Amino acid sequence: MNIFVLIKQVPDQGAKAGINPDGTIDRARAKRMLNPFDRYALEAALFVRRLYGGTVTAISMGPPPAVEVLYEAIAHGVDQAILLSDRRLAASDTLATAYALYCTVRYAGAFDLVFCGLQTTDGDTAQVGPQLAERLQVPQITYCEKFEIAQGAIVARRVIEGGAQTVRCPLPAVVTVANSAPRLAYKTLRGARRVQQLQRDEAERSRVIRTVNLDDIGADPVRCGLKGSPTIVAATEKVGEIGGNCTLYQGKPLQQLVDDLLAAQVIAPELVKQ
Amino acid sequence: MSTKQVLIFVEQEDGCARPVAFELLGAGRMLANKLGAELAAFVACDSVGELPETLVAHGADRVYVAEHPELATYRTLPYRRVLIDLIAAMDTPPHIVLFGSTTTGRDLAPRIAAYFETGLTADCTELDIGPYEHTNAQDPSKVGLYPDCLYAIRPSFGESLKARILGPWKNPQMATVRSGVMVPLAPDATRTGVVQSVPVHLESADLQLVVAETLRSLGEQVELQGAEVIVSGGYGLGNPEGFALMYQLAACFENSAVGSSRKAVDAGWIAHAHQVGQTGKTVRPKLYIACGISGAIQHRVGMDKSATIVAINKDSNAPIFKFAHHGIVGDLHQVIPELIRQLKLQKTSTPDTSHVATHSL
Ligand SMILES: Cc1cc2nc3c(=O)[nH]c(=O)nc-3n(C[C@H](O)[C@H](O)[C@H](O)COP(=O)(O)OP(=O)(O)OC[C@H]3O[C@@H](n4cnc5c(N)ncnc54)[C@H](O)[C@@H]3O)c2cc1C
Repeated sequence: MNIFVLIKQVPDQGAKAGINPDGTIDRARAKRMLNPFDRYALEAALFVRRLYGGTVTAISMGPPPAVEVLYEAIAHGVDQAILLSDRRLAASDTLATAYALYCTVRYAGAFDLVFCGLQTTDGDTAQVGPQLAERLQVPQITYCEKFEIAQGAIVARRVIEGGAQTVRCPLPAVVTVANSAPRLAYKTLRGARRVQQLQRDEAERSRVIRTVNLDDIGADPVRCGLKGSPTIVAATEKVGEIGGNCTLYQGKPLQQLVDDLLAAQVIAPELVKQ
Repeated sequence: MSTKQVLIFVEQEDGCARPVAFELLGAGRMLANKLGAELAAFVACDSVGELPETLVAHGADRVYVAEHPELATYRTLPYRRVLIDLIAAMDTPPHIVLFGSTTTGRDLAPRIAAYFETGLTADCTELDIGPYEHTNAQDPSKVGLYPDCLYAIRPSFGESLKARILGPWKNPQMATVRSGVMVPLAPDATRTGVVQSVPVHLESADLQLVVAETLRSLGEQVELQGAEVIVSGGYGLGNPEGFALMYQLAACFENSAVGSSRKAVDAGWIAHAHQVGQTGKTVRPKLYIACGISGAIQHRVGMDKSATIVAINKDSNAPIFKFAHHGIVGDLHQVIPELIRQLKLQKTSTPDTSHVATHSL
């Protein structure tokens, strides 16, 4: 099995560092982390290799520090990695991102399965997986939470509104993994040793983690970055500071607080069960 | 003929449109009116029945119908094929195409957008039409004034911001729209529209994936959207047992349901079906009681249209107090039992005036 998994480095919104007082993110200072949704995709990729054998290649696109998430993937047991890094990718929207990733996958070679996280915590669109599948001209399974592989096909359960659906699809395919799928296991000792080894041995490192640019993968720069993006963020509007009209009940004995609230007719009597 | 068109994708099951389709018609009608455009709906199914009339009554001027046995259940590739064929066959592509931000819409819309190499904004909470002047000369081919640009507005990540996303350079301009946000129009049976059947040509490659089984576990359906009162618990509950308290409080109300923040769902305290917010459900009950919820933007966009918001939080600086109507500052483990006690007391002591009023009529 030739398995690819797409992962992304995102700002860590849990960390206070890099969060401006107005709630916006200072991307230069923000702590970074592996997109939480991608952890499920990584687990799915490693699961396939565990059961059916093969090679897992992690692919990421981002500035040079994004290599951190590729090390993390290797610590979890991924065999090799590719980082697509190029200034001409700046301001890519989902369409341009999917194009660049498509070129990277094409460069990486033939595949049976490409796993993607359902969405990222920074873009939050869930669009890149299906857009990649469209460019690769293969079927997709989105919101996949459980699967097995039999006779060259994947049989998967996907989440739908208020339920689930079982589908069967021949390989190759693109799969986006839901966050109800199995959680990523701990890093392995072997993986951790491998990362240490790569950090010592530069030749081995550049063999295992290939860093490529748009020219290496044969991508058309006009279809990438700002130029290749049909959408732009034209304006942002702060929504944090509405109201200020909240009536606060505090600084009194508890019973009195609740009494005051109810006396203010906040809870319409007809809503209360008789 | 090159009538300007706003096109919406209708999700259907067994010949019935899903609620989001009517919401899209409501939003699409408003956009079409502003543009002076026609509002069209696209349905793919095995047998359409009376659905087109229903869609017309809810605001569509034209309904495109693709009927084929292979289109009975939604599947990416056959649906992709018929929708691409429809749009490609038009003299001018639709000005705007809208999908619901559902597991179906989010599966299909990106493929259509990638095929036409056009923009797609995900998970919008507001839509509008307006002018846009692009001056950024980094890409001279895009500079210009665009009078009828789709304003696709969505909450922006982790920040208390809403972003307005535009892509007027190419039609169709596409967006997926959160379900529960747009308001459907009241049906008008006297409205008339054109029903147009569209050809279906499926290739064997489109039929590779088969749906073996579809299960909608109604037991798991949480009736958040129909509830008049929602009692919602967050990470401040401290542990899964905290939700028992939520159910006790909810039980004090007539038509109530229990909601939650994402952090409580992620912690595994309650099922995702209860989640309110950007990646959960959008609700607008008469009363929303937020317990131990900080009020992050992603939660807020799911509930800030509630008629009355009451927050219980021990931190008087919690963001939720910026938009709640009433707030008790205190430990929810003390406040809620007291609230339950007084609500019970209230109902036993106050005479049932609504009852009296009905009788005197
Ligand atoms: C892409 C994306 C999508 C998201 N989608 C959603 C979504 O759909 N819905 C959603 O809710 N979130 C969503 N989030 C997460 C959101 O950003 C917040 O992290 C989340 O809403 C916080 O949940 P919370 O308020 O329960 O927890 P916290 O932020 O941890 O807040 C807990 C609150 O409880 C209070 N508290 C603690 N103990 C007590 C006590 N004993 N009594 C009273 N108060 C107490 C604290 O003061 C605090 O205000 C999303 C995030 C991202 C990045």
